[in-house]
Amino acid sequence: MLEITDLHKRYDDVVALDGCTFEVQPGRMLGFLGPNGAGKTTAMRSIFGLVQPDRGEIRWKGEPVTHEMRMRFGYIPEQRGLYPKMKAHDQLTYMGRLHGMEKKAAAAAADTWLELLGLADRRDTPTEALSHGNQQRVQLAAALVHDPDLMVLDEPLSGLDPLGVDTMAEVLQAQADAGKAVMFSSHQLDLVEDLCDDVAIINRGRIVAAGNVNQLKNAASIRHLELEIEGPVESVLASLEGVRSADVVDGRHVLIVEAATDVRKLLAEAERGGIVHHFVYTTPSLTDLFREAVA
Amino acid sequence: MNAFQAIRLVASRELKERGRSRAYIISTILTVLLLGGAIALPTLIGGGPSTYTIGVVGEGADIVATADAIARQEADDDEESNRYEAMVFEDTESAEAALDEGEIEAVIVDGEELVAGSAGAFGGSTAERSLQEAAGTHRVQELVTGSEEAAEVVQILASEPLEFRRLGGTDEEEDNLRGMVAFAGLILMYIAILSYGSWMLSGVTEEKTNRVVEVLMSTLRPWHILGGKLIGIGILGLGQMLVLIIAGLLGIILSGAFEIPALPFDSVAALIGWFILGFLLYAILYGAAGSLVSRMEDAQNAAAPLTIVALVGYLFSFAALNDPEGAVAVIGTYIPFSAPYVAPIRLAIGDISAWEMAVAVAITVATIVVLVRLAGRVYAGGLLRYGGRIKWGEAFRSAE
Repeated sequence: MLEITDLHKRYDDVVALDGCTFEVQPGRMLGFLGPNGAGKTTAMRSIFGLVQPDRGEIRWKGEPVTHEMRMRFGYIPEQRGLYPKMKAHDQLTYMGRLHGMEKKAAAAAADTWLELLGLADRRDTPTEALSHGNQQRVQLAAALVHDPDLMVLDEPLSGLDPLGVDTMAEVLQAQADAGKAVMFSSHQLDLVEDLCDDVAIINRGRIVAAGNVNQLKNAASIRHLELEIEGPVESVLASLEGVRSADVVDGRHVLIVEAATDVRKLLAEAERGGIVHHFVYTTPSLTDLFREAVA
Repeated sequence: MNAFQAIRLVASRELKERGRSRAYIISTILTVLLLGGAIALPTLIGGGPSTYTIGVVGEGADIVATADAIARQEADDDEESNRYEAMVFEDTESAEAALDEGEIEAVIVDGEELVAGSAGAFGGSTAERSLQEAAGTHRVQELVTGSEEAAEVVQILASEPLEFRRLGGTDEEEDNLRGMVAFAGLILMYIAILSYGSWMLSGVTEEKTNRVVEVLMSTLRPWHILGGKLIGIGILGLGQMLVLIIAGLLGIILSGAFEIPALPFDSVAALIGWFILGFLLYAILYGAAGSLVSRMEDAQNAAAPLTIVALVGYLFSFAALNDPEGAVAVIGTYIPFSAPYVAPIRLAIGDISAWEMAVAVAITVATIVVLVRLAGRVYAGGLLRYGGRIKWGEAFRSAE
């Protein structure tokens, strides 16, 4: 388990991390969410010693993270992280060796990963000559070639087409299933909701929500309500109690209401206003949770 | 992975990737061709023997024949000499017309006058001097013809020039050669510092731009990366320099431009040693400069102060080339940024004592050791900060 406890980091007058605390469990995938500039990259970099926090601790399996432990971590930095002119296989072999693998083992692992990601025929192609999706596949392989125990990926899904996302998701899921701890940052909340067991939401350097996705949803103080009524909608909406926010999406009213609100009372109010065509009351989506958390 | 393995890993990647890159191969071939061409070209264009056709009106055919005989006599056995042939004309007009047409090089009128064309390089040339000389020789020969001393006079006229010797016993040929080695070495050193420095610069910036450096820094120490790069690029640079030197020597031998006696070994060895020191000194700083910027376009700007220092050191050393015992040369020996230029020059053409050389080496090595630490820290601090151009001091302070 990776434990990040009370990280603080300040650059001149900018506070990047302000008591950031969360955990990444082995065998699970954690989505690391937050608005731009919230401190995601700084937190991920501190795991690899690329940022020295002013205060706080990072532990792996109960021990403070050392250089040796980092050799068993895998990392995809924000954007690329590859040599543009290096051939795919050479690149992966080099990454394996950087993490302490012998030459032969690294070369073999590189071939295995190229095969697995459908890049066997691109073995000797320079990275810059690959399509964007294939570059990202090589990047993924580069973080996996040494079979790490912990994977940290900074925005691995950005710019991927749906097929690329599927490949990425499959590979990461397989890693988690094999008992590895996986964390990645993303802005694609619906994808994270599908993929991740856990999330941690960071805002202004602090974790504002963290834990199992379903538990977070159940425990949330808000609920998601979709409503379509034939009749005087405005007066119905005005009469509803406990509405935090209201929005119209494709002609349907999407409301965020207090979890404490009685759903039967809501339905009764709606029916009094007109003919109800659509009434969905659910736990909030991850997007709802995110908006609520960083508001 | 220990430090040795880590540095070797980085260095061998640098060697393999850069060594087989098109840029490296093409730049090596181009410089070899340029150097070879510069050496061989003058010989190919102007060096070969020519045949001069000289118009003769009235007397003068004998002068041309004498010039031809002298030229053949002076040439070594295995060399071809210039040839002089006479073409007889009825009158001056027709001869001058032929001269205008370029059929002949010059006209001798009645053995009294030598006429060259309005254009052309005949006046003042070797050919003109040979004909003038031949005219004098011919007159003396005519004067003594029939007398007892005739044979002796001819022999004296054809005798070898005086042997030349300089006091102090140094061989002029070796002096020239040492001067050439010093001059060529100086230029090579300057080219090496600038071009291999810029390899360091762009290599470091490239890794930062692509964020590869974050992966590197998560497994290696900054000085492993910097050290490995220095060694890899240093070996490639030294290799390219050796190829150049060998190509230059081959060019000299094959074209026969001038002869190479035994090379002054000490100055060649010192040049290679100082090449390594000069490369390290500057390349470390270029590497640190590369870590300060996030975009390739800004790299040259970040390195501008260094490039100026390298240029000033280079200019310094021309003073040393002119006057290897002068104050500038002596001071330049003890300034680490000019020592790699000046010290080999003083060794090649001047008088530098063993202790002076030892002090110069010690100062430069000490500077390198200090720089490895300072620049290494700037490098570590600069690499992980993005944005515009980071200041040296800022990068130095932000490293931990």
